[in-house]
Amino acid sequence: MQSITFAYRQLNALILGKPQQTRLALACLLAGGHLLIEDVPGVGKTTLAHSLAAVLGLDYRRVQFTSDLLPADVLGGSVFLPGEGRFEFRPGPVFSQLLLADEINRASPKVQSALLEAMEERQVSADGVTHALPEPFFVIATQNPDGQRGTFPLPESQLDRFLMRISLGYPPADAELKLLQGGDRRQVMHKLTAALSAADLLQLQQQAASLHVSPALAGYVLALLQATRQPELFLHGLSPRAGLALLAAARAWALLDGRDHVLPEDIKAVFVPVAAHRLTPRLPGGDSSALLLRILGNVALA
Amino acid sequence: MLADELRLASFAVLAALALVALPLFLHLPGWVPLVFALLLAWRATLVWQRQPLPRRLWLMLGLLLPIAALWLNLRTLVGREGGVAFLLLLVGGKALETASLRDWRVLLALGFFLAATPLLFDQSPLSAIWLLLSLFALTWAMVLLSGEDARLSPAVTARALLLSFPLMVVLFVVMPRLPGPLWSMPTEQQGATTGLADSMSPGAIGKMIPSREPVFTAEFRGSQPRVSQLYWRVMVFDQFDGTRWTAANLALPRGVALSGEAQPLRYDVVAEPFQGYLPMLEQGVEAGEGVVLGYQQKLRRVDAANTARLRYSVQSVASSQYRDALDEREQAFYLQLPADNPRTIQAGQALAGRHPLPAARLQALQLWLAEQGLRYTLNPPTLAGNVVDGFLFDSRQGFCEHFSSAFTVLARAAGLPARVVVGFQGGEFNTQGRFWQIRSSDAHAWSEVWVDGSWRRVDATALVAPQRVDAGIDSTLGEVAPRMPLVGGRPPGWAQWVGQQWQLANFSWQRWVVGYDAASQQKLFQQLGLGEVSAANVVKALLGGMALVLLPLAAYVLYGRRVRRSVAQQVWQALGQRLRGAGLAIAPGDTAAELQAHAARLAEDDQQALAALLQQWQRLQYGPQGGDDAAWRHLWRQVRAFRPAKVGRQR
Repeated sequence: MQSITFAYRQLNALILGKPQQTRLALACLLAGGHLLIEDVPGVGKTTLAHSLAAVLGLDYRRVQFTSDLLPADVLGGSVFLPGEGRFEFRPGPVFSQLLLADEINRASPKVQSALLEAMEERQVSADGVTHALPEPFFVIATQNPDGQRGTFPLPESQLDRFLMRISLGYPPADAELKLLQGGDRRQVMHKLTAALSAADLLQLQQQAASLHVSPALAGYVLALLQATRQPELFLHGLSPRAGLALLAAARAWALLDGRDHVLPEDIKAVFVPVAAHRLTPRLPGGDSSALLLRILGNVALA
Repeated sequence: MLADELRLASFAVLAALALVALPLFLHLPGWVPLVFALLLAWRATLVWQRQPLPRRLWLMLGLLLPIAALWLNLRTLVGREGGVAFLLLLVGGKALETASLRDWRVLLALGFFLAATPLLFDQSPLSAIWLLLSLFALTWAMVLLSGEDARLSPAVTARALLLSFPLMVVLFVVMPRLPGPLWSMPTEQQGATTGLADSMSPGAIGKMIPSREPVFTAEFRGSQPRVSQLYWRVMVFDQFDGTRWTAANLALPRGVALSGEAQPLRYDVVAEPFQGYLPMLEQGVEAGEGVVLGYQQKLRRVDAANTARLRYSVQSVASSQYRDALDEREQAFYLQLPADNPRTIQAGQALAGRHPLPAARLQALQLWLAEQGLRYTLNPPTLAGNVVDGFLFDSRQGFCEHFSSAFTVLARAAGLPARVVVGFQGGEFNTQGRFWQIRSSDAHAWSEVWVDGSWRRVDATALVAPQRVDAGIDSTLGEVAPRMPLVGGRPPGWAQWVGQQWQLANFSWQRWVVGYDAASQQKLFQQLGLGEVSAANVVKALLGGMALVLLPLAAYVLYGRRVRRSVAQQVWQALGQRLRGAGLAIAPGDTAAELQAHAARLAEDDQQALAALLQQWQRLQYGPQGGDDAAWRHLWRQVRAFRPAKVGRQR
């Protein structure tokens, strides 16, 4: 537990003024989920992904997604070896513990779905052979907000593969001032030390998954799910899978708090990041996050 | 509430106020609503540009100057016009004082009050439709002010209004009524365009005829009369000065005696009095409640000063004559003639010489008139000097008032007591609503001649243009006055249908809503078995009606919560109530941590007590061990004992 606190502190030393978001990112990984960071360029998406890998001691690869990227560039492919007269599978960057898929919405839908399939199955099939991905395996994808030029928005069914979607937003003024006075953050990043090993992380994940969820809390989650299913709010409400994801994220959040059971406060903390990207407001131009906050304000605990 | 939402809601409030005040342009001096609109526009500009409110001084000037102008214009700030105009200006001024959410709410409440004011001037169904529109706009603004999502707000508004509708009906039916229609203003002059004048001179009724404005409605119980029987008597003119007929308004006590044993027609009329008199079918036998049948067969209200619209029932026998014993003095009165119109008087006297028997003389007079080659037209040439002579012998063109006036003069000259009766003839039968609509254009005048102890109706117009009486005014207009676009020719079938529906709506509205007065309420109460309209019974009916309306609603709302509340729910809800009671703004979805954060405003020991309760709650509800019944009951007792002190109202 101390190791995770240490990791959290290191992250905040690097990502200034965003304790809530770094904590959510940590919780996402503790829950074993993939993370989508959506924001305008230049607010530290890549830095966050990079430093998460560093403090968690994960083997880290980065792929810059572009419109001409091919699935094989991500997954890897078979290469003919003339000396031995056979094909050999060359694993792509996806075979790493933490893959940073930078600007995922600039790649073609083909590449996006290849990656997302690998994320869900945690394995890659090539030429009839299945290659398992390493454990743990995380994808942190960043994307620019919709409507920027040259983007292919991810379909909802694929957004569902990400446990959380967070945005960083501009840093608060004092943090930004500090940032302007300090050196390049990437320099600082090299000073980060791994706070825990991959094995520690797996153990923490198991610990999170075993946190107690009381029937009353499950009832509260159900009430929230049902509230999103009111037809006047969203096209489709949250699925049972989303409900499980919500619980998993809340457990990780409670673990970060050092508790052995989940409270409604944990659910509330992760509800919007877990749910917002899975929902489409009924009214065009509606804001899922605002609607979800209203639900949180109105659904009683008991 | 976010600043942008408040801005949007502010615009909604201002727009709703503008909508509400729009009909007042028809009733107030035009500049008053204009100033109101300018004040609203001023406020809207400030909201738009995010500018602060104007200085007090400007506000004072912007308000006091129009009020002074209002005083100069109307010489009063009370009464219907003055009061409403004054209120309008004050509300406009209030709009420029609205800073906080609470101020906007106050402004909105004033808007609801303002929405009722156009009804003081006009109670037609159109006003009611406008009122509904206004209510929707105001409620919509209220919904926006409460922070509802802008795109969901129309649906929320509609739902709220629909849910409140049954309650409104109950209150309308049950609340005690003032005697007389609620909106009538007894001091006002009504019916300037539709009324009958208190005298008859050439052209007076003719002016009314092109107007298709509805004047009154009549509903017959049992069989319907024929159009030619529909002589609606209103006033009697018995004095002639050579040009103009006026009413002497003698008030002699006189009973009614009818010849023949015809079955009386029973009918209800909804009408406004004309010069104090109400329309009644000739010949009246018995007047219902609230009206009285008097001398010269004239019907008037019991409370004669009241000029409001009234619903009354009458019984009449459709007959063209009634018995009346005139003494010498009265006979002489009905024979008075000035020396004007010598040619007519000469003609009358010549006929009298040839026909000594009054009945024969009357027939001869009618025959004589029919042979004069007179023509019925609504555009007769203007006459001056001896108008009756001019009509009978020179122009020979005229309409009902020329005919009736000429015939009455002729009859008096021939020694037969005679007078002019003014009222309406005919009407249009609404087949859907089964009632008669009588319009301005049905206004008519005819003569009454006293022969052999009876007053006999002589419709001189019918002698010349019988279709006027047999088929109604429309037929003559189509023939004689094709140039009048308003009433020329018959409208197409669908237009008639629409017209009839509108009449029906208007009639039902007047009858059931505007005409729902103390008497109708009394009747309804008795029909419902509630007895007198007393305070106790009103409260009973109110509670009963509200229960009748609200119970299904409550059942509907509670339907989703049929499940019995668990102890945990009871504890949690009780805790929320305690904190709300202490003056904290608790959201339904608040968690323990959020409650504790709100509680920072509570007293120190209350905060600690709350912290202990919340901790227990969290442990029992969410902890790994959970809680048994005993633990829950313990917590329940503690929560019930928890009485946080009220927080101060400082912000």
